[in-house]
Amino acid sequence: MKKKLLAVLLCGVMAASMLAGCGGEEQTSTTPDASGSVENTEAAADDVADAVEGTGVDLSSANVAVFYYTYADTYISSVRTALDAKLDALGVKYQNYDANNNQTTQNEQIDTALAQGANILIVNIVTSGSVDASQAVVDKASAKGANLIFFNRAVEDEDTAGDVLGSYDKVAFVGTDAPEAGHMQGKMIGEYLVENYDTVDLNGDGKISYAMMMGQLGNAEAIYRTQYAVEDANAVLVEKGKEELVYFDASAAEDSRFQVDQDGAWSATAANNYMTTNLSQYNEANKNMIELVICNNDGMAEGVITALNTAGYNMGYDDEGKLQGTQIPVFGVDATDAAKQLIADGKMVGTIKQDADGMASCIETMVENVASGKALTENTGFEADPEIANKIYIPYGVYTGEAE
Amino acid sequence: MNIISNMKSSLADKRASYQAMDSRDKLNYWKELLINNAMYILIIVAIIYTQAKNSFFLTPDSIVNIISLSAANIPIACGIAGCIVLTGTDLSAGRVVGLTACISASLLQSVDYATKMFPDLPVMPIWLVILVVIIVGGIVGWVNGFFVAKFSLHPFIVTLATQLIVYGVLLMYIMINGNNGQPLSGLDDSFKDFVTGSVFSVAGVPIPNFVFYAAIVVVFMWFMWNKTSFGKNMFAVGSSPEAANVSGVNVMKTTILVHTLAGCMYGITGFIESARIGSNQAGTGQNYECDAIAACVIGGVSFVGGTGKISGVVLGVFLLRIIFVALQFLSINQNLQYIIKGLIILIACSIDMRKYLVRK
Repeated sequence: MKKKLLAVLLCGVMAASMLAGCGGEEQTSTTPDASGSVENTEAAADDVADAVEGTGVDLSSANVAVFYYTYADTYISSVRTALDAKLDALGVKYQNYDANNNQTTQNEQIDTALAQGANILIVNIVTSGSVDASQAVVDKASAKGANLIFFNRAVEDEDTAGDVLGSYDKVAFVGTDAPEAGHMQGKMIGEYLVENYDTVDLNGDGKISYAMMMGQLGNAEAIYRTQYAVEDANAVLVEKGKEELVYFDASAAEDSRFQVDQDGAWSATAANNYMTTNLSQYNEANKNMIELVICNNDGMAEGVITALNTAGYNMGYDDEGKLQGTQIPVFGVDATDAAKQLIADGKMVGTIKQDADGMASCIETMVENVASGKALTENTGFEADPEIANKIYIPYGVYTGEAE
Repeated sequence: MNIISNMKSSLADKRASYQAMDSRDKLNYWKELLINNAMYILIIVAIIYTQAKNSFFLTPDSIVNIISLSAANIPIACGIAGCIVLTGTDLSAGRVVGLTACISASLLQSVDYATKMFPDLPVMPIWLVILVVIIVGGIVGWVNGFFVAKFSLHPFIVTLATQLIVYGVLLMYIMINGNNGQPLSGLDDSFKDFVTGSVFSVAGVPIPNFVFYAAIVVVFMWFMWNKTSFGKNMFAVGSSPEAANVSGVNVMKTTILVHTLAGCMYGITGFIESARIGSNQAGTGQNYECDAIAACVIGGVSFVGGTGKISGVVLGVFLLRIIFVALQFLSINQNLQYIIKGLIILIACSIDMRKYLVRK
């Protein structure tokens, strides 16, 4: 009897969890019509011809599926929140998927969504910068004639620009110009150093030694940021007659002048562990100090700052509004709320802002375009790549706290 | 006095039995000794090599750094060790650390922090937060133990499931109240001081407080394993559940308790990590179980079941951490680091299993 009761209870829990799961994922605002959705896909296909008569936006036929590379990513979470709100306001049927950082999972999710009749795919691809991975997604979409919007993570690298985006007429990319963040960060660092050279150069040897926290090996964004942050900073320094940056660990090989999160998670934990170990070896007592820390994202910057705080650096403002103790400038990318707060507290110098809201509104415009039969990239309000018309760039911005 | 004379006589015994061996046995004896202690020999060689290459490796700064990095991993390793003694494992450990870290952070954000998760919540008393995370961890552990014991499911499957469930809960938790997945930071000073602050220093290097908490955990776990009937039952169940059952041990209760205790340990790890890292997000704690399991196995807690010591676990955590830090001090290429870590785990497990194979 007791056993039966337990079995019944377990079944009940399972059923409840399945219902809850489905209920949570399916965010339907309008009743979808399966047959209608197929028809409308075809109508949207003959874009320009039908655009004239398709003035009334017909959102009931749109069946949107949004694929996120991982729910764990801070920046992507803010895009997700913004996009959810916009799609809700639009009253369109949509469903979110979490690939949990696994391309195979994402491909399977895309197959499932297409089988369910999704006609607008919004894809935040897991394997960034790989033509093979993104081409596979394009092929899936084109086989069903679905519209495809890639966002945030690069679908091709510099050498293969246009290969994927030129291979299908109903595809577009909304993202950032991956190298831009690195360039901007580098320029910001260079300019900051030129202004504060002597304060930053703690041991007064005329050179700034830096540490670099890389988010993930083999990720296009991480590679560009790691490379250009240093190169562009050097360019600014050399122009002003200063020495180039020197990697803090002289024995590191030229191709490994960075410390990378070995789990590829861009995590604060990894950066914190690296930095505490670095500080045990490189500190002011040893007259060999890390004088600058460059991070691929704000999460890692936070981890670094916690490590610096524990060692007594970057303690922020005192009661009179003066910075206390020795400052090691730390730079990040993303402009998360936490990073903005650190900048306001004087513990961090600057970051590069990724516009989550802008990205979401650009995607929203594209969804509306599809529904009203317009061309995918019409009227987004953002600039396209000069050579590839369906590659829309959301600009980055420098954030050092002064602007707001 | 008694102990010393005992040691003397056992040493004399050993010497006598060694001298009684013929030359082939003697050679064999040394070979066995070398292989069985290969891990320790390797570590000593690694330490000497690293120190020779980089003279900062054995400075007080660096040693305190190794100790504190190890201390942060000790509670989770001590917890997971119990599951391994029962021939099981626990894949949910890392995610429980993540969840409890985020809970700790959200309850202990300073009141004036701009993006505080619960804006109206005063800073909670620290003891209450510790209690909360221990209970949260304990609940997950209890669920693990219950399903393992009640349905004879392999812990691998049960904890794989709870790992996913806990991750889902964690993702929901950091989305609430308009936090939208942003990292939880801006921790209150009282919390930071409690964990990363320092009451006393050695050779001018401050020792962070969490090292002492880890030490308390070690003493507590040593007591639980060696001085309570719970510990004796755990080893009995680990060696042979059938035999333990026949001799009157409540296998179900023991299994549930071991997993619950493990869950509580993950809660403590989460609490410490929360302040130590200072930035808590969905990815916090990911893969922590891997390092913890590796440390246990290196420290001689065997997947065969029923064997293992808390001292071994602590040693395992230290050995693993020494290697990680040494690789960094030697500026070893990142790609090679994966290979070296993999090899060390493989060798350690092989040496461990070899002991049992020889015995058979």
